[in-house]
Amino acid sequence: MSALTLKLATRPNQRLDLSSLIPWRLAGLTPKEIETLPVGTTREPVTVGDLFKLKGTDAATLRLVGTDASCDRIGQRLTEGEIHIEGDAGAYLGAFMRGGGITLSGSAAPYAGAAMAGGSIEIEGDVGERAGGIAVGETVGMRGGRLSIGGKAGPMLGERMRRGLIIVSGGAGDYAGARMIAGTILIKGRVGRWAGYGLRRGSLILSEAPKDLLSTFNDCGTLDFNWLRLLERQLHATGAQVKFGVRARRLMGDMATVGKGEMLILD
Amino acid sequence: MSKLKLKGVEIVETFAEAFPMVGTRVITTAPTLEWALIAARTMTGFATSVIACGAEAGIERELKPEETLDGRPGVAVLLFAMETEKLQRQLRNRVGQCVLTSPGSACFAGLEGEKKLKLGASLRFFGDGWQMSKIIGGRRFWRIPVMDGEFLCEEKTGLTKKAVGGGNLLVLGRSHAAVLAACERAVKAIGEVREVITPFPGGIARSGSKVGSKYKGQIASTNDAYCPTLKGAVNTALPLDIEAVMEIVIDGLTAPSIAEAMRAGIYAIVEGGAKQGVTHVSAGNYGGNLGPHHFHLKEIIA
Repeated sequence: MSALTLKLATRPNQRLDLSSLIPWRLAGLTPKEIETLPVGTTREPVTVGDLFKLKGTDAATLRLVGTDASCDRIGQRLTEGEIHIEGDAGAYLGAFMRGGGITLSGSAAPYAGAAMAGGSIEIEGDVGERAGGIAVGETVGMRGGRLSIGGKAGPMLGERMRRGLIIVSGGAGDYAGARMIAGTILIKGRVGRWAGYGLRRGSLILSEAPKDLLSTFNDCGTLDFNWLRLLERQLHATGAQVKFGVRARRLMGDMATVGKGEMLILD
Repeated sequence: MSKLKLKGVEIVETFAEAFPMVGTRVITTAPTLEWALIAARTMTGFATSVIACGAEAGIERELKPEETLDGRPGVAVLLFAMETEKLQRQLRNRVGQCVLTSPGSACFAGLEGEKKLKLGASLRFFGDGWQMSKIIGGRRFWRIPVMDGEFLCEEKTGLTKKAVGGGNLLVLGRSHAAVLAACERAVKAIGEVREVITPFPGGIARSGSKVGSKYKGQIASTNDAYCPTLKGAVNTALPLDIEAVMEIVIDGLTAPSIAEAMRAGIYAIVEGGAKQGVTHVSAGNYGGNLGPHHFHLKEIIA
């Protein structure tokens, strides 16, 4: 059985809600039935069959090809199985997901991995604002799992994150790790202004010191952190190409709030 | 009936009687192997027998940097007790007083298993609110701030209820020096076996005990049948020319690992042959009614 592949053949004239295209929902459906699933978001009805060409049958691994930034909610509430996307993704990629894996060859719009609780998302390109952050109507952001971003992350990365790991290879926008409750964010590259704003607990690991360091972060000096070795080894074991050693400058903050978080600036 | 001999040393046709225990393994690491060993030795000190130590513990083996979670030299430690609750208390106290305190140390789970014992889960409170938890690869670790940096300690470690305590060998010989040398060889050989420890001093017990005593409240007393100085006065188990008896007690996470250790021990004991002064290898039991595990020497060397 080959992976179920949906190729976007017709450009949509509206935003799409692809939240129904997740493995457990598609398992057991015939291609005909899949084609009748509604994906439109306006009064003009649109179905899968109107836009996508179907190939393959195994829905445990779903391939989406040729998608663009109007394809919202891909893999939303995913619990198991895999979704591989060749193209870009719209908003809410893998939001609320609890298990399984998503890979994206292109870039994702806002809210990628927002409020996710488990599983992993690997994005080769950039992400918009609030990746791994709060979804609208929620009080906490990402609460588990792993979000890897190959490119640059937009503002408010990991806002109100509670648990889990975010890795960014190409820097991040303003307010990275804002109001984090706990969890770990590792950012290679430059971060924007106000990194760690309102940080309560949790770790913001940066390869470069922010240009404008919040005055409510207090220096603890440069020290060895054994747990960084565990993190590095775990990342290696799961295929991430990172190297950062154990030495880092520790700043604790945000002293304007709980102040038990840390910004670790790698040596 | 002909006597079973290995290199002239008689293997007495008897069996070691062993008991079910609960056991766990933790890994201590440190900047150097020396310091990992110091933490492990301290943690396993005063842990020869559950009769009065609360636990039986020992070093299972040394670990290379590539075998440990944090890539530093480490030591695998085994800890055994009769009940889960007691094992939990011993683990907390020993890691808390001996590993947490040891410079540069970290402590990780060494055993999987559905049932868990708290490790960092209780020691984290030493952090007085400054401790931080990190989940890495699905396992939770505590970072506890201490004066030389951070004590990194895994939240929990596994527990096994299939552990076995009291596997043993009795070594009889015509001179103290010969018995001691044979036992040293055996302890070294058993050290190569995984999942077992020899909790007594240097792995050797010279004061094997029997159950009970003539004195009220004394639960164990000297094994008079094996005391060479009492040969003429008690129902002795010793031929007249025996000058010393020593015992190697083995605790293991599984029964097969004890059998393997006993086998390695016996072959190391008889290595020099009878002419070096060791005459018998025997084992201690209580008639077979107390412990469910019987390790027959004859089967073990087969």
